[in-house]
Amino acid sequence: MSFRLAGVGLTHANGFVALEGIDLAADQGECIALIGPSGAGKTSLLSVLGTALAPTIGTVEILDFGLFSRSTATGALRALRARIGSVHQAPPIPGRQRVVTAVLAGKLGQWPAWKALASLLYPLDLPGARAALERVDLADKLFARCDQLSGGQLQRVGIARVLYQQPDLILADEPVSALDPALALATIRLLIADATARGATLVASLHAVDLALGNFTRIVGIKAGRIAFDLPSGEVSQDLLHDLYASEGQDLPTLARETRYQPRTAANDAATRAACC
Amino acid sequence: MLLSAAPALRDPAARPRLLGALTALVVLWPLFQAAEVKPAALFDPASLKVIGNFLAGFLPPETGAEFLGYLGKATLETLAIATVGMALAFVLAVPLAYLASAAGRERPTQNPITRGLLTLLRGIPELVWALVFVRVFGLGPAAGVLALGLTYGGMLAKVYAEILESVDATPARALRQSGARRPLAIIYGLIPQASKELASYTVYRWECAIRASVVMGFVGAGGLGQLMDQAMKMLNGGEAASILLTFMALVFAADALSSGLRQGLEKPPAPRASPFGWRSNALLIALPVTVIASFRFLDIGIGELFTLDAGRSIIGFVAEFFPPDLSAEWLQKVAKGIWETLAISVVGTLLAAVAGLLLALPKPNAPFSFLLNTLRSVPELVWATITALAVGLGPFAGALALALHTTGVLGRLYAEALDNAPPAPGQALRLAGAPGGFAFLYGTLPGAAPQLIAYTLYRWEMNIRMAAILGFVGAGGLGQLLYFELSLFHHAQASTVIIAMLLLSIAVDQASAILRRAMR
Repeated sequence: MSFRLAGVGLTHANGFVALEGIDLAADQGECIALIGPSGAGKTSLLSVLGTALAPTIGTVEILDFGLFSRSTATGALRALRARIGSVHQAPPIPGRQRVVTAVLAGKLGQWPAWKALASLLYPLDLPGARAALERVDLADKLFARCDQLSGGQLQRVGIARVLYQQPDLILADEPVSALDPALALATIRLLIADATARGATLVASLHAVDLALGNFTRIVGIKAGRIAFDLPSGEVSQDLLHDLYASEGQDLPTLARETRYQPRTAANDAATRAACC
Repeated sequence: MLLSAAPALRDPAARPRLLGALTALVVLWPLFQAAEVKPAALFDPASLKVIGNFLAGFLPPETGAEFLGYLGKATLETLAIATVGMALAFVLAVPLAYLASAAGRERPTQNPITRGLLTLLRGIPELVWALVFVRVFGLGPAAGVLALGLTYGGMLAKVYAEILESVDATPARALRQSGARRPLAIIYGLIPQASKELASYTVYRWECAIRASVVMGFVGAGGLGQLMDQAMKMLNGGEAASILLTFMALVFAADALSSGLRQGLEKPPAPRASPFGWRSNALLIALPVTVIASFRFLDIGIGELFTLDAGRSIIGFVAEFFPPDLSAEWLQKVAKGIWETLAISVVGTLLAAVAGLLLALPKPNAPFSFLLNTLRSVPELVWATITALAVGLGPFAGALALALHTTGVLGRLYAEALDNAPPAPGQALRLAGAPGGFAFLYGTLPGAAPQLIAYTLYRWEMNIRMAAILGFVGAGGLGQLLYFELSLFHHAQASTVIIAMLLLSIAVDQASAILRRAMR
């Protein structure tokens, strides 16, 4: 068992119901894609899995940690979190940090304090950081500063950080929405290959339906805070999909027709600014 | 394999970092030597006893009726000096800014003569002006008012000119091309864009003027400072405590009033022919009334300042300062004073940066922000009189005093900068299991660092000027030199020191402008 949610609901402080009656479980090593219209609750679900948000009702078990709740001791929670890696929509990396430091920060939860402190002065695991960057084709940027990178490059640094962290559970929130289609496909394949090779579980929310159906074995459709369907990718029919995206018009969002995909420079600027300022 | 073919990995930044750290050590070591840093002196039993007795004397604060009468009068005097000084500064600043600014000119030329005059006015600290005016006009508030008027006039004029230059120039240019004269083009084209910033800066300066008028009392220019100086010299802790409390209340009140006024500036104008509401009208009436009342209260004989006798004595006095003493021996002493001043400012700012960061970090920070506000509301010069008791006269007392006041200022700015830093990177690291401290070091701090560094540099710049005058209460540096020479009526020597202060101030201005450009 990698995680199990039972009857999970999440209501925000302003009364907005983000999740309701979610039952979802995964075995270690599964690769799951979350799809659904914007605002359906994909990010909320990933936040609950990542222990960023505690559910209002229901129970959450993650890895072999047992029940997780608001009252979990901080030390134990930290140990759990060190085994969860997140790829974020906008890479959460300070602009003035060097790429090498940003990647090494992935292991702060596993390193002893002296190593974390010393790495601020001299990065202690240069080969490890470079190996992770090599897998996202950025080995030459090892010593660059993050504000010198484009938005797409910065997003790949965020992915390299998770690869370096080697977590048992990888959570990815629209990890490729800032990348061009070819790079997006390669990146998703990289995440799946990494998870498969290490027997880690991968849960990724994706806006592009074809990217999800073509690469993941299990597809979970989310709509209005509930699970609409949970099927092997072969059994997801066009009708189900049109039902899921009924609010977004006739066309299904795909990589080629990504509605929120902006011209590259503009997307880069926004992403860089979000990450740097 | 690619990895094995690659050359041995080495961090290219390691060598510059090591060199930078070594250079910093090499530069800082002599500076710490020059500032005579001796932490042991803080724990010297003899001085601990003196300061302990003195601080013990703080309780209970003096509340005798006679003393409270003096205190009330001194408080009013301080407020009046600040108000009249600001009025004088404003009257000086408006024409000077008009002359100095390139705003509203068809060809953007700046007036080098006015600019030079402005540099002269604000390059010499107000305390030095006050010290000089006390020699001419005798002890009393007149010296304080004039000193405040001149320095703040220079500062206001410079900032006014720059604000007017920084707003969009096209409206004024269009007005001029349709035949308006320069003053009208400025009033109709530039002032509406700049009015908020102009008013906000003026209010901020008035707040500073209250602090400054307290400090000037230390050289005999009346008000709370003079009372404080007497209480300190007699080691009367109870009186000192009462004065300090009054002073802090005054600073907090000015703080609140100034932020209230600035908030008022945010309000959109009423939809009437006259945009002024009751608040503006009340302010318009209150301002001249306050200025006139303050003027009456201070009882400055304007007529006496402008008689033939007074003019002759002023000219005679000024003539004594020329020519300045430029002998090699004296220049060497002044150079040592400059070095000591720099050392005091560097050590004080560094200590404050460390302490301020430590006090800005803890959350919730309510008790710490009270501590920071207290540190900040006591001026450096007052701190210096206390630290001089603790560690003896000399540059270390000055560095400590700077550090205490600056800790309050920087701590508050740091806390704001850290609150405004993007939270996502630190949050993401915490979710990946990083302990809070490391999430801060790897995630939050890099985002806030540029602002932290900018604030520290800006404050250091102000501290160099401040370090130059801390010596007036015996805390080393150029100030001590100047105070001695003026006390001995060695005016030629004093003149050299004043020129050195002016040059130092100009150099700091230039250096910080260059640093800021490099940081961008």
